[in-house]
Amino acid sequence: MRSFEFVAPGSLDEALDAVARHAPHVRLLAGGTDLLVELKHAANGPQFVVDLGRVRGLRGIEVTSAGLRIGALVTHSEIVRSLLIAEHAPAMVAAAATIGAVQTRNMGTIGGNLVTCVPSLDSGPVLVALDALVTVVGAAGKRQMPITEFFVGPRKTALAPDEILVDVLIPAVMLGRSASFRKFGLRKGQALALVSAAASVAVEGGLIVETRIALGAVSPTVVRALRAEAMVTGMKVGDTAGLREAAQVAVTEARPIDDFRASAAYRRELIAVGTFRVLEEALAKATAV
Amino acid sequence: MHQVEVTVNGVVRRAVVSPETTLLSALRDSWGLTGSKLGCDVGDCGACTVLVDGLSVNSCLLLVVQVDGREVVTIEGLGGVEFLHPLQVAFERLSSYQCGFCAPGMIISAKALLDENPAPTEQEIRAALSGNLCRCTGYTKVIEAITEVCRARARVGGIGPPA
Repeated sequence: MRSFEFVAPGSLDEALDAVARHAPHVRLLAGGTDLLVELKHAANGPQFVVDLGRVRGLRGIEVTSAGLRIGALVTHSEIVRSLLIAEHAPAMVAAAATIGAVQTRNMGTIGGNLVTCVPSLDSGPVLVALDALVTVVGAAGKRQMPITEFFVGPRKTALAPDEILVDVLIPAVMLGRSASFRKFGLRKGQALALVSAAASVAVEGGLIVETRIALGAVSPTVVRALRAEAMVTGMKVGDTAGLREAAQVAVTEARPIDDFRASAAYRRELIAVGTFRVLEEALAKATAV
Repeated sequence: MHQVEVTVNGVVRRAVVSPETTLLSALRDSWGLTGSKLGCDVGDCGACTVLVDGLSVNSCLLLVVQVDGREVVTIEGLGGVEFLHPLQVAFERLSSYQCGFCAPGMIISAKALLDENPAPTEQEIRAALSGNLCRCTGYTKVIEAITEVCRARARVGGIGPPA
């Protein structure tokens, strides 16, 4: 690993100051499970590394009138163990539990997962299906945006070089919304997603009144299957054939690639199967009393 | 250069390190604790697994400056030749070590599991060890050793895996 200057600020203001002074020659360190691997292999590393691990205020999980707020430095293990998240957004727990192995989950953070923004990021689909918002802070102040705007492309986000992601918010209206997540990998342990899918649904009087379908690892970034969502919204609960048809439409809304892990054709099959299953599971939760 | 102070296996250790020094490198090269192994160096194999503040982590993916002031437990902290940890006894008794390279990480992961869940099912043991690769592929005996420790503890303490 090439050497760098290391700073571990104790407050967000100090961290922002360090970033403003050294951008763009600076990298932020959260859990390090991606960054350290990158630094070990980079020909030209950053001049400065700012460790966010000691910054106060980036770690909490809380429910406020705005919704469920998860600090950027919350680890995947903390999400898996959180009773608040289990109560209000259990699909997030299901997604976090599929990330890496125990060691990775103990170190890796939700903020790091989002900022690294690989197409297969496991935190992404459920957050998209729950209309999550992210808050970023920079020298110019604080801004909040839908997570779909934060994801720009493979390893590309809307985060400016002098900004820090501080939290993720599931809006109050989505708390308790029935949602489901599925990830397909080549094995159970430590697998990258070949395809991941998440869905959330709202049901009223036997009718599906709102639907979100989010697909991971099959496009440059997490995508919503908007046409499939439009087909599902308005369906009666129990219309299995309708869900299967919508799942086929979802396949056309993704752009899976061929690579050494799987062919695009296989990924398209998985999108159909995954979309159908997450819809069915989310509906089962919505109608269970 | 940075001055760090880390409590390792109950002993305060100090070192002056360059910022890119990993915890694994400090343990092995600065403090002579060579039980934790350098395997893949990218956080996949688990041979470098240690506990930091009680949680299992890959010490190859942590900078030692990140753990300044924190508490680390390595395989050397579980037991020594004079007084082995029950997991070490079971690994030895059931010949769960083959080449032995992955064993320190396996045992630390098993300890982390049992600290949190004293009566895991076999599936839970397998899931908890999914971040520890054995290239001799000797997983069966590893699972058996951990199961034996759970059973022995259940006989003593009244807790254990479901029948």
